[in-house]
Order: sequence, then structure tokens, then C-alpha cells
Amino acid sequence: MTEGLLYIQSDVLPALLRGFWVSIQLIVPSALSGITIGIVVGVLRVYGNRPVKAAADAYAALFRGIPLVIQLFIWYFGLPYFNIYLSPFAASVLGFSLCSGAYHSEYVRGALWSIKRGQMLAAESLGFSRFKMIISIILPQAVRRALPGCGNEVIYLIKYSSLAYMVTCIELTGEGKILASNSFRFTEVFLIIGACYLLMTSVASVILARVENHLRIPGFEQQRT
Amino acid sequence: MTAPILRIENLSKRYGQREVLKGVSLEVDKGDLKILIGPSGAGKSTFLHCINYLVKPDEGRVWLHDREIHPERKRELYAYRQKVGMIFQDFNLFDHINAFENVRIGLVKVKGIGKEEAGERARLELERVGLKEHIHKYPAQLSGGQKQRVSIARALAMDPEVMLLDEPTSALDPELIGEVHAVIRDLGNNGMTMIMATHQIGFASSLASEIIFMENGLIVERGTPDKIFNDAEHSRTREFCSKITDLYGER
Repeated sequence: MTEGLLYIQSDVLPALLRGFWVSIQLIVPSALSGITIGIVVGVLRVYGNRPVKAAADAYAALFRGIPLVIQLFIWYFGLPYFNIYLSPFAASVLGFSLCSGAYHSEYVRGALWSIKRGQMLAAESLGFSRFKMIISIILPQAVRRALPGCGNEVIYLIKYSSLAYMVTCIELTGEGKILASNSFRFTEVFLIIGACYLLMTSVASVILARVENHLRIPGFEQQRT
Repeated sequence: MTAPILRIENLSKRYGQREVLKGVSLEVDKGDLKILIGPSGAGKSTFLHCINYLVKPDEGRVWLHDREIHPERKRELYAYRQKVGMIFQDFNLFDHINAFENVRIGLVKVKGIGKEEAGERARLELERVGLKEHIHKYPAQLSGGQKQRVSIARALAMDPEVMLLDEPTSALDPELIGEVHAVIRDLGNNGMTMIMATHQIGFASSLASEIIFMENGLIVERGTPDKIFNDAEHSRTREFCSKITDLYGER
């Protein structure tokens, strides 16, 4: 028993803290750029002209349709064929952002379609240009409606960030894998790892709920007609 | 005789096979209040939407003062739309911002006026339509009549020369119609040029400089309220007027 505790204290904790920190560094930028990509691509998919729309649709289909592990392999192992060398960390963030962005774009697209036509007519009648209308009138409303879905995607991202170790970016899961292989204490190590992810997703849920609350507007949600 | 403020020539609109508007022309002088009446599907709403190109007409030309509007020149179109305010049947307030910001946002984002100055103006316009106490309420917290008054304030803030009103009171409870009519009456008395589609002919006849009866995408008959309501030439006009008088009560 004491041996187990000692093992956890001396080996597991430092490794997990290190991995935890790498995971956070993967997740936060990927989530932020994923949302940004999602909003831009979502807008282009709805309001873009024909070729732009087709390109944006193709992006979403491609990155939603190919398993994320394969995408990571392509960025990390495939790009060197074109003399582009990405670090494991960079390849992971790139892969996560692009994949996450494709999913976000779907939520944003749905939210954009749900905005009543009258909102656009009113903006146009005041002399808004199309661009200003989208930025000032449509997006603030659409983002609020997309938020629950996008929050869901962020939770997914936290979990699929565990795939980074497949391209040798040693984050939480990677550290766990190493620890477990060395000590054969698979159960203990992965239970702790699982708890760490649960902690991250719980914290993320709280933050997302706060954001939703902060952006809530009287009656806005009931106005879906 | 000065030139008309707004000249509309031969506006036509087709949706597939259906011709909604079959070449409607209208000249509006400063201070005019033209009232469009007619059954639903007559093309009144499409006509109003075509005037400021919210609906793209298939044919037809529009002049503001002596300048023809070329809707493909975006900049000119946006400038023109500021000069032609539009009031919608279902208000179309921006749902995500309060009354005050609804009025201010056009001034800030379209006219590029500083937030503070624009805020002053917005407050003034909301006061003018009697909503001083409600400026921080969101659309969902306002009654229909209040929403429509906010939308009038929002249009007025842009300093329009002409206002287009598309059945401004038809989505309202009878009790709330009066407050919106009072605001519109006030506008008329202050010399605002307006084209309004409405079924409220009592209100219309007391205010209108001309009544225009439309049906099937065409102007059937036009004239002073007295002529249209009491002495119409076309049997169809008489029929419609008597029906609508029964429906909407006293004139």
C-alpha cells in the first residue's frame, strides 16, 4: 500500500502534471482557433457566393469525414514528403483546429439559417451593407444560438486531444501510457487519467454555462419563430 | 411646381409564373401621404419592398428627387435606403439589443456617427414616440405597439425623406393601434412624406392626400379619400371599400 502511494507521489504525479499542462496547451489554442474557423466557414457556407460556398462546404465535408487520427498522421507524417516539417505539438494543434472548425461551422450554419429574414430586411432598409449586417446584426444573434452546440464541440475537443500522443506529442494520455507500460499499473494510472479528463470537461462545462449566461438576453431564446 | 420627391415608374415583379406586380407607377410630392389599399395579394407589400429594393424588381425605375437609383451600385443603394425609411408589419426590431441600441445602431454602424452623439439622437427619437421610460427594454419585453414605435424611431433617426409603411398596425391588438396611429399622424402633421399600406381606412381617410386602390398587381383606381370611399368609378373599388368599412368599423 505504502509502496503504491510512494509510486504515485514520486512517479505518477510529476508525469501527470507535465502531461496535464501539455494537454491544456493543446486544447486552449485549438478551441479558440477552432471556434474562429467555425464562425468564418459557417458564414461563408451561408452567405458566400457560389465558389466560396462550394469550397467551404468541401472543407467541412473533408474534415468531418476523415477520422481525426488519419488527419493527424497526414499533418505529421505526410507533410514531410512536401518538405514541411511540423513539430508533434504544431501538427496536433493544426489537426485539432481544422477538425474542430469543421464541426463548429455546422453549428454556426444552422444558427445562421434560424435568424428570421425580417432581421435582414430591417438592417438592409436602414442602409446596412451586407458585411456590416452580418457582423452587427446576424452574427451576434447566431452565435448565441450556436453556443450550446459549440460548447458540445469544445467538450469533444478536450477528449480527442488525447489523440495527440499518436503523433508523439506527449500530453496527458501519452504520459499515462508511458507510466502504465513501465509499471504495469494500467488500472490505477488510467483511472487517474480518466478523472483528469473528467475534471477538464467539468470545468469547461461550468465556463461554457457562464458564457451562455453572460450572453443571455431577455426573451431572446423564446423568440424562435 | 417642384419635382416630385420620389418617382416610381413601371415597377414589375414576377415570382415564377406569378406576376405580383404588373407595372406600377407613382409620383410622390413632398408632404404627400399616399395610402395603398386593396385585398391581400394585391401587391401592396411587394410594391413597397420594391421601392427600396428590398425585393429586386424585374423591371422599373425609381428616382429620388432627380437622381435615378441604380441598385447595382451598392454604395448609392445604401445611401438611398437611408433616405427612405421602412416600417414593417411585424416590426423587425433587432432581437438581441434593447430599444435604445435598436435606434442607435444604424447611426453608429451606417452613418458612422460617434456613439455618444448617436445616443443623444436615439434618446430624442424614442422620446418623440413616447417611449422615454422603455429605452432599456429588449424587444421581447415590449408590447406590439411599443415595438412598432421603436421601429418608427429607428427609421426616423436616419433622417429619411420618405417613409414606407407596410401595414404598420395590422399585427397589433386593436387596443394598441391607437398609439401607433398617433405617432404616424404626428409625422404627417410635421410634413413627413409617406406611402402607407393599411386596412385602417378610417385612419387613412382622415390623413391621406391620396388613396390608391390596388388589385392583382395593378393600380385600379386612385383619388382623394372622399372620391374613393364615396364616389368610386370602378365597381370593384366600391365593393372592396364597403367590405372593409364593415370590417374595420366607422370611418
